[in-house]
Amino acid sequence: MESGTRLIRRRISRALYAHPRGRLGLLLGPAVLWLLIFYLVALVLLLMTSLWQQDFFTADIVRHWTLSNYDKVFTGQDGLWLKIYWRTVRLAAIVTLIDIALAFPLAWFMARIVAPKWRTIMFLAVVVPLWSSILVRIFAWRTILGGQGVLNQILVDTGILNHASSAFLYNERSIAIAWAYVWLPFMILPLYTALERIPDSYLEASRDLGAGVFTTFRRVILPLTFPGILAGSIFVFSLTMGDFVAPQLVGGGSQVLGGAIKDRFGVAADFPFGAALAMLTLLTLMLFLAITRRSGALENV
Amino acid sequence: MRRVLAFAVAIAAVLAMAVVVGACGDDNNDNSSSTTGPDINAQGEGQLNTVNWEGYTDSSFVKGFEKETGCKVKDTLAGSSDEMYTKFRSGGGGQYDLASFSGDASLRAIKSGSVAVLDTSKLTNYPNLAKKLQVPTFNTIDGKHYGLSFMWGANVLIYNADKVKPAPTSWAITYDPKYKGKVTVPNNPIQIADPALQFFGQKDPYSIDQATLDKVKNKLSEQKPLVRKYWVLATDFEDLFKSGDATLGAGWPLMTNDLKKAGMNVKEVLPKEGVTGWADSWMLSKNAKHPICAYKYMNYVTRPDIQAKVADVTAYSPANLKTCEVVGAERCKELHVRDENYYSAIKYWKTPVAPTNYREWTDTWNQVLG
Repeated sequence: MESGTRLIRRRISRALYAHPRGRLGLLLGPAVLWLLIFYLVALVLLLMTSLWQQDFFTADIVRHWTLSNYDKVFTGQDGLWLKIYWRTVRLAAIVTLIDIALAFPLAWFMARIVAPKWRTIMFLAVVVPLWSSILVRIFAWRTILGGQGVLNQILVDTGILNHASSAFLYNERSIAIAWAYVWLPFMILPLYTALERIPDSYLEASRDLGAGVFTTFRRVILPLTFPGILAGSIFVFSLTMGDFVAPQLVGGGSQVLGGAIKDRFGVAADFPFGAALAMLTLLTLMLFLAITRRSGALENV
Repeated sequence: MRRVLAFAVAIAAVLAMAVVVGACGDDNNDNSSSTTGPDINAQGEGQLNTVNWEGYTDSSFVKGFEKETGCKVKDTLAGSSDEMYTKFRSGGGGQYDLASFSGDASLRAIKSGSVAVLDTSKLTNYPNLAKKLQVPTFNTIDGKHYGLSFMWGANVLIYNADKVKPAPTSWAITYDPKYKGKVTVPNNPIQIADPALQFFGQKDPYSIDQATLDKVKNKLSEQKPLVRKYWVLATDFEDLFKSGDATLGAGWPLMTNDLKKAGMNVKEVLPKEGVTGWADSWMLSKNAKHPICAYKYMNYVTRPDIQAKVADVTAYSPANLKTCEVVGAERCKELHVRDENYYSAIKYWKTPVAPTNYREWTDTWNQVLG
């Protein structure tokens, strides 16, 4: 018995040794299969679903091929869905810009100014919030921005406002704030990596050649950190395009794409139309990635 | 050439898999379910998965059920009929044993073939339900019972009595610019029935024509700037009231009850223009994995003493008339258990089919939200 299994084992190892391609196939096979089933097949299913219809009463999918979902996305309901789409793209762009503005000084400080032992602590401070649930982190903004929230209390106590304002919560602004907050680490980390890599000598050389602070920033630092900014922007932009948690918790009535898609799938059971909306998000992100790639910024990340 | 071939093979493989996986999702539309229920005195399966409205699986009575039967209740809460229906049917429909469908989901569940016919001989409290709730159109078709009536009630106007004075008597207050940013209404397309009934004279607000639907849309769009937030779960509504972000809105008696318990001076009213409402039934999934526990639960929560407890949590009206013997005459009156006029004044939720159908309602609702 014992020698039998040993014999088989030896045969297998000999076969694998003789066939490097078989070896490679065995090693890569499971991963490729995983990707194929859960990524590519899922995508094809999504595309197929977006070409079907839903029975409004039973919510069953009617497998009748049609482009009507796309017609509705692009021309239907007085342009409602395109309006929601552009609102989301605009918000995603704003959130990305806010995060760049917030992350740059912080990453600069972490990468180039602070003492190494504090650097670790700052790193932890950036990363640790990611360990808690996104729900909790967004919910916290309700207690800050709400009618009896911290912000209103401060403003009323200091006499800046006569009475608590309802302008801070349940609108597009509060969604943008929550998003900018939760995605900030995804901008800081790539920016930090990019800034850390700039040799001091470059900055000294720039100064020796007579460049002021602004010129050095514009012509040396910015081009060198551009890949980091782009990498961070890809994270922040795509996370924003797909999120439905923030709009649900701190949003008002107006819909954003992530929430609209979630409602098509999770509430209305209109999978076909939800799939068509999801394809729109997907195309936007692919376009964004293609532009980024063409700019050549990803080549030296 | 070889690369092209490999690429073509890969594409073909992906497509083939997609077709296979897609085909797996085919529903089993077999309507020949037996009407003989399980042996309700047998040992339960040890677990029960439900999807239901808030308050219908409250620990104040679920704990007793778990102790009595050994069936552990795993509940999932839904904030709208659509959400409950979608959750109930997700993953082929075997994930949940029971759902507490309102009338606008129950017929959808029956027509889609996802619920089983119930055996009323195994439903111990069935004979004590109000007669009208034994064979209602929303859960009984051709003499077949697909649901067990449970609780019913109205969509009421709820307001913070400290902030809203004088006490409102009309739904018009939810459209009054004076309360801009202080109003909350459900994020639910069925909400369209409310203005249809209250402002456009539709006796059957679930069967309205396109012209009325357009008028309702304009009315609701007018209301939108006043709305602080469209609530999804009852807890959203309660949070908005507790934080002072909303002072009035359309909700369920459950919320008034909860907020009063939390010490707030909150009141509810049935405005003069009339109200919509719901009558809920427990329905059993055709693919239920724990049918014995499901029957045990249906029997448990329709027991008079437990109906009284459900009413304590939700302030809804119990379907079992014998509840009155447990709670006494005064509470019985308060809960409208035997009040026929109160019952028939409510326009119960049902899924619109014609002249405008529910897809058109959903589309209209999305346009209102923008």
